[in-house]
Amino acid sequence: MRSFRIYVSASVLICVLIITFSCTPGMCFEETNAFLEASFYLESTGKAKAPDSLTLIGLGKDTARYNKVGGIQPALIPLNTSAENCSFMIKINGVSDTISFLYNSWLHLISKECGYTYYHSLDTVYSTRNIIDTILIKQKTITNLNDQNIQIYY
Amino acid sequence: MIRIYRYIISFLLILILLPDALIAQEQATEEIPDTVTVPLKIRTGVEISGPVIYLTGKKILNAEGYVSVDLNEKLGVYFGAGYSDYKYSQYNYDYLNKGIFFRTGIDINFLKPQVAMGKYWAGMGIRYGISFFTSETSTLTHENYWGKTITSLSPETGMGHFLELSPGFRAELFNNFSIGWSLSLRRLLYPGTKKDIRPLYIPGFGSAGESFSAGIGYFITWNIPFKKLRVVIKPEEPEEPLEEDELSPDSGVETESQSLGGRRPAIQPRIR
Repeated sequence: MRSFRIYVSASVLICVLIITFSCTPGMCFEETNAFLEASFYLESTGKAKAPDSLTLIGLGKDTARYNKVGGIQPALIPLNTSAENCSFMIKINGVSDTISFLYNSWLHLISKECGYTYYHSLDTVYSTRNIIDTILIKQKTITNLNDQNIQIYY
Repeated sequence: MIRIYRYIISFLLILILLPDALIAQEQATEEIPDTVTVPLKIRTGVEISGPVIYLTGKKILNAEGYVSVDLNEKLGVYFGAGYSDYKYSQYNYDYLNKGIFFRTGIDINFLKPQVAMGKYWAGMGIRYGISFFTSETSTLTHENYWGKTITSLSPETGMGHFLELSPGFRAELFNNFSIGWSLSLRRLLYPGTKKDIRPLYIPGFGSAGESFSAGIGYFITWNIPFKKLRVVIKPEEPEEPLEEDELSPDSGVETESQSLGGRRPAIQPRIR
């Protein structure tokens, strides 16, 4: 009798727990874009330093990703998912360069709530050298998990 | 909201079915025979909430049935199969999944034979499940700085498998006709497809986003008795009267009453 009551009570308890956890509506709390994450470093000191002014415009685009903003560290650079390369005009402290990326893209399911995004594998980065001195690739795989992908020395 | 109704219904089922089982339990405790005859049965049942939910406009069809055979008064082997048709739409994609699933394992009845009498079952199922499905994302939209990309993922077949614990309750309402419910607590062993495009749903398991899923099923079952088993009931051993030393919480400690040479009154408050 006692054990039977325990079974029934345990069942009711499990039901209540399931009600509690199953009625949470599905919402997406994750980043749904995979950005290339670029950190800025001073060539002279080798230390991380955000530019005083940063402008980033995709070649062929009318709108800027960043427009004369200071203190951006790191810069989150979106890649074109319908192509295998894309280029940006990057202006650091008023001096312009062009930076280009070659990469592969593939679909990745983030979650049921957030849906799909594109992940990328970075192949090559090159740029003009007006203010940019060196670009190092630190992490080739570009995901929505905020890993540093490249270091830009200027 | 439908989920809430399902849980409320399950709670009501407990309340409805509980008195019968308790009466049986009481009868069993009143008369304590040495043996009890338990009918072993083949059970075949269908899950009823899946089709009902589908008819109320949900985009998920889950049809499921099972057969179980009693091995003895405690154990039974279980085999279940089902079909699932799952559709899901989110703001940036439409997803379809169709497939079949099979479950097999054992059912353990925790009730004593003189309580269960082949009519009541309260216990746990331990099962292995395997699922074969086709998964498709018919439209998919992705938007970022460079614009909008619209694409799709063509149908892919997959196979997933999982383990399941299924505690539940079942009672015979009429002659050889039972209803009951069971919870399903499942652990995904393998989702069946590649890492980046894993399925959202696995038939028989549920949402594949997590490695753990839970659900509840309501079953109508037809029971076919095929054999009678005479089970010896172990009489509950009467509790041995405690020794006088054990009655005293501070036995072994010299007290004033003990110092009287055991000439204590039958009822005497302890004197300190």
